[in-house]
Amino acid sequence: MHINEKFTPIRKGLLEFLVLKIVAADKVYVADILTQLGGTEFATQEGTLYPLLSKMRREELVDYEWKESDAGPPRKYYELTAKGREQLRETSEYWQRIIGTVKSLGQKSGP
Amino acid sequence: MNKVITINLNGVAYQLEEDGYEALRAYLDSAARRLEVNPDKDEIIADIEQAIADKFRAVLGVNKTVVVTKEVEGVIGEMGPVEDASAPAAGSPAADRAAAAGAQAGPRAAAPGEPGASPRRLFKIRDGAMVGGVCNGLAAYFGIDVTIVRILFALLAFTYGAGLLLYVLMMIILPSATTSAEKAAAFGGPSTAQEFIRRAREGYYEGMRTFGDRRAHREWKRKVKVEMRAWRRNFQREMHQNAHQWQQNWHTYWAQHPHPAFGSWLAVPVLTLLCVLISLFTFACLISLLATGAVFGIGLPAGIPLWAGFVILIIAFQMLKWPLKAMRHAYSHGPYGHAYGGPFVHLWSPVFWIVMLVLFLWYSKHHGAEVHEAMNQLRPQWHHAVDSFKQWWDRQ
Repeated sequence: MHINEKFTPIRKGLLEFLVLKIVAADKVYVADILTQLGGTEFATQEGTLYPLLSKMRREELVDYEWKESDAGPPRKYYELTAKGREQLRETSEYWQRIIGTVKSLGQKSGP
Repeated sequence: MNKVITINLNGVAYQLEEDGYEALRAYLDSAARRLEVNPDKDEIIADIEQAIADKFRAVLGVNKTVVVTKEVEGVIGEMGPVEDASAPAAGSPAADRAAAAGAQAGPRAAAPGEPGASPRRLFKIRDGAMVGGVCNGLAAYFGIDVTIVRILFALLAFTYGAGLLLYVLMMIILPSATTSAEKAAAFGGPSTAQEFIRRAREGYYEGMRTFGDRRAHREWKRKVKVEMRAWRRNFQREMHQNAHQWQQNWHTYWAQHPHPAFGSWLAVPVLTLLCVLISLFTFACLISLLATGAVFGIGLPAGIPLWAGFVILIIAFQMLKWPLKAMRHAYSHGPYGHAYGGPFVHLWSPVFWIVMLVLFLWYSKHHGAEVHEAMNQLRPQWHHAVDSFKQWWDRQ
């Protein structure tokens, strides 16, 4: 899968942005994040996600509380902080700019 | 058939095949190495172990208590290599060098004082406690020395006894950590035998590094012996407590001394009276049927001979009496069907019957004429009944 491999660093870079979007929509358990990403091209694993979430928490973009889940011990329940919301807004704007640039580059202007 | 190793993941024990354990060990060691420079290293490891535990639980069941090597490898594959998001790419040679220096990262989930570990519970710990075990429990929960907590409480006692009141309240409110699972939860530490062995083994290796061979060996033997003895004592005590509990249960439910239900002194005579009344009423109906061919005016349905009417009446009234008799039996007999003794059987019953007899005689004396008349009616009506039966028989 040649194209897939070329896009690996792009997917890795976008992962934090996507996790911010997911947590912004709703409070989630880590398992929920994995399920939501599971069906997409950005499917990832616990080994990648846990260090990423911990880094985001250190940067105060997300925060967690211990919440009882239906089976087993309490789990971390993640939500977005104010700083995280700000970061998400900035990243979304930047993302829109990038998309615009990608679209407009290489178009021959004029007839 | 493979050897099985029991591990502790966040306070729950899982059994893995030996090769699977080695694979998991290698995975977690490599994860720890990669996260060496990460300040959240312990928390991430705890999260990863929790995720592994969840995946193990999914493959275990009532008839399957061991995670086989293949499943362990599958779980490791699902988890994926642990990539430190914050370490720069060039950091791995440095991390490997640090690993080579002998850092040992074991699964130390929920060690005392760790942030983000699974929450510890507050118990009263009676082992080695001075009065009630309150200070002991608090010390275990916060991870500070017992003596400090006791000093704090003693100082509080001087403030108009508020400390004493608080202590007594806590002694009443806090649950005692009796089972070893609860004690483990109080300290946030493991309690299986394997864990003791692992700890002892770690101590042995540590000893090897600093002392000479013989001293470390003796130290290790001593430690293992002490811990094993303490564990065995705890286990025995738990067994004794359980046995004691069983005995108590037996006494409560099986060795009961039977005594009559509440209010049976009234219920039994009343029910008996009702039964007697119904019997008398039956008798009256029978006599009426015999005398007039109808039960107080209610005629027999067509085609039913007289003797059938008798049978029907008797059966009907017996059915009416049956629930009353059952109730009376319930009141006057114990759970295994034996009859209760006691005054209301041996004294009041005969008294009751004597009273009833006297009443009956008095009634018949005062209303003797009617009774006499009814009795006189009896003989011709009896012949009538016999005749009708004969006729019916001849007709067959």
